[in-house]
Amino acid sequence: MYRTAAKRLLGTGLTTTRLLRLPKPRPTLIIPYSSHTSESPISNQSLNPNQSNPTAASPPSTAREEEGHRRDESMRKPRAEFQEEQARVLAASLRHVARLGWTEEAMIAGSRDVGVSPSIVGSFSRKEAALVEYFMDECLQLLIDRVDSGLDLQNLIPSERVSKLVRIRLEMQIPYMSKWPQALSIQAHPVNVPTSFKQRAMLVDEIWHSVGDGASDLDWYVKRTVLGGVYSTTEIYMLTDDSPEYRDTWAFLDDRVKDAFDMKKSIQEAKYFAQDIGAGVGKSFQGLMNGVMQTMSRRGGSSAF
Amino acid sequence: MALRLISRRFGSRILSYRSSSVASLHSHATSFGFQEVKEEDKSKLVGNVFTNVASSYDIMNDVMSGGLHRLWKERLVGKLSPFAGMKHLDVAGGTGDVAFRIFDAVNSVKHRALRKVDEESLEETQIYVCDINPNMLNVGKQRAAERGLRDNKSLVWVEGDAEALSFDDHSMDGYTIAFGIRNVTHIEKALSEAYRVLKRGGRFLCLELSHVDIPVFKDVYDLYSFKVIPNLGELIAGDRDSYQYLVESVRRFPPQEKFATMIADAGFEKVEYENLVGGVVAIHSAIKL
Repeated sequence: MYRTAAKRLLGTGLTTTRLLRLPKPRPTLIIPYSSHTSESPISNQSLNPNQSNPTAASPPSTAREEEGHRRDESMRKPRAEFQEEQARVLAASLRHVARLGWTEEAMIAGSRDVGVSPSIVGSFSRKEAALVEYFMDECLQLLIDRVDSGLDLQNLIPSERVSKLVRIRLEMQIPYMSKWPQALSIQAHPVNVPTSFKQRAMLVDEIWHSVGDGASDLDWYVKRTVLGGVYSTTEIYMLTDDSPEYRDTWAFLDDRVKDAFDMKKSIQEAKYFAQDIGAGVGKSFQGLMNGVMQTMSRRGGSSAF
Repeated sequence: MALRLISRRFGSRILSYRSSSVASLHSHATSFGFQEVKEEDKSKLVGNVFTNVASSYDIMNDVMSGGLHRLWKERLVGKLSPFAGMKHLDVAGGTGDVAFRIFDAVNSVKHRALRKVDEESLEETQIYVCDINPNMLNVGKQRAAERGLRDNKSLVWVEGDAEALSFDDHSMDGYTIAFGIRNVTHIEKALSEAYRVLKRGGRFLCLELSHVDIPVFKDVYDLYSFKVIPNLGELIAGDRDSYQYLVESVRRFPPQEKFATMIADAGFEKVEYENLVGGVVAIHSAIKL
C-alpha cells in the first residue's frame, strides 16, 4: 500500500524515476507564453542502424500500422538513450563532488569523464539541483536494495528498526559530508523545494514500510511527519559531528527515535484519560472514580506503542 | 551521410505527410519573402539584403524590437550556459551580438571568481563567428575593436555558408544561430551541417522570429509588421524593400512545431522550444547524442 502511495507522491517523473517506475513518454504540454517540450513527436531515427534496416525493407501496404508501431519504439528509444546518458553523466559527476562541490564544475568534469561535451550540462534543468536529486534517488534505491536483500530486522523492536534504517541511509552520505551543507542549501531553494520535499517524503515512507508499519488514517501522516523531523535533525547534527565513526550522531538518533515513540505512548495515554474524563462528567461521581481506576490499570499494562 | 538521410526519410513518417513537408520545404527554398524566386537566386538576393542593411543592422534591431532583442539574446546565451574552454560556433552571427555575450559570460570576473576556472582552459575558449556576408563580418570586427578585443585569440571571424561549413566533424561544443536560419535557402542542410560539426553532447540553439497564435495579439503583430516596420526601414536605413523582405520571410518560415520536427529529423535529441513574447520569438534547443 505504501509503495503505491509513494508512487502517487512521486507524480509524473519530476526526479529521475528509475526506482519505482520505468520512464514513460511524457505528453506534450501546451502552455502558452512559456516553454513547450516537443520530444520528437513523429519519430527520431538518430543513431540507430538496427532500426533503419528493417524499416527500409518493410512492404508499403502494411506501412501505416508498422509505421505507427515503429514510431512508438523509436520514440521510446532515443528518449531512453538520453535519460541514460544524463544518468551516466550525473553518476560520473558524483565522483568529483568531494573535491568540487555540488556545482557545475563537478558536472563538467563528470561529462568529460564519460566522453561527452560539457555543453550537455547546460541542458539539465536546475543544474546543481539535478545532481543532488540524482544522488538522493540513488541513495533511496540503495536503501531499498539493502532492505530487499535481507537486512535483519526481525529481531529488533520497531524503534530499533527505525534507528537502523535511518543510520544506513545517513551513512551513505558520509563520503560527501564535507560538501553536504551545500547540498542541503541547494535543496532548500524555493525552486527545488517541491522535488526535495517529494524525495524526503518517499524516503520516510520507505522506511516506515520496511519497519512493517500497519497504520492508516491520521496516524500515517503523523508517523511520516515525525520521522521526517527525526531524520532532518539527525542529518543536521551529523554535519557538525566529529566523533570517531559518528558515534555521537547515532546516539543522538537513538534518543530522538525513542522520544518519538515515547511521545506516541504519552499521546495515547492522554487520549484515553481525556475520554474517561469526558465519560465521567456525563455519569455520576461513582462512575468517574471507576473510570479513573480503569485508566490507571490500563496504563500499568500497556507496553506497545 | 546521404544514405543516412535517405534511410531516415523511409522510416520517419507517413508518405502523404512526407510529400507535404517536402513541398513546404521546397517552398522555403524558393521563397524570397512573398515572392517566388529560383533556388539558385535566393542566396544572392539575401546577400544583397544584408549588404544593404549591414551598417544600420544594430540600430534597426533596437528600433524594431524596442530593445527587446537584447533580452532575447541574453536568454539564448543563458540557456547555452557557456563554460571556459568551450569551442563555440555562432552562425549568421555577423555583427557579433551573441558571440560577444558568450565571450563575456565566459570571461567575466564574476564568473571566474565564482567558479574555479584555470587560466589555461580560459585560453582554450574559441568562439567562431561565421557569416556568409563579409559586410556583416566587418561590422562585427569593428565592434570587437571598439571593445578592445581586436587581437583577442578567442574570437575568430570566419566567412562561410551555413549550408556548407568549413569546420571539422565533431569539433564544436555549441552551435547557435540567431535570426539567421530563415535566410538560409535549404534549412535541412543547415541543420545537418550543425549536426555534423557538433561533438557528442553538444547543443544546438536557434533564436528566430516565429509564429504568433494568440487571437488579438496576432493581429496587432501583423499590423506592426506590415505597416510599421517597412516604414521604419525607409526612415532610418533608407531601405524599405529589405525590411519588407524581412517581415515576409518571417511569415514563410515554418512554425514552431514544424521546425522542431525538422530539427529532430536532422538527428538531434531532446528538441524543445520556448516562446518569448507570445511567439514573436522562439528559442529552439536540442542536443546531439
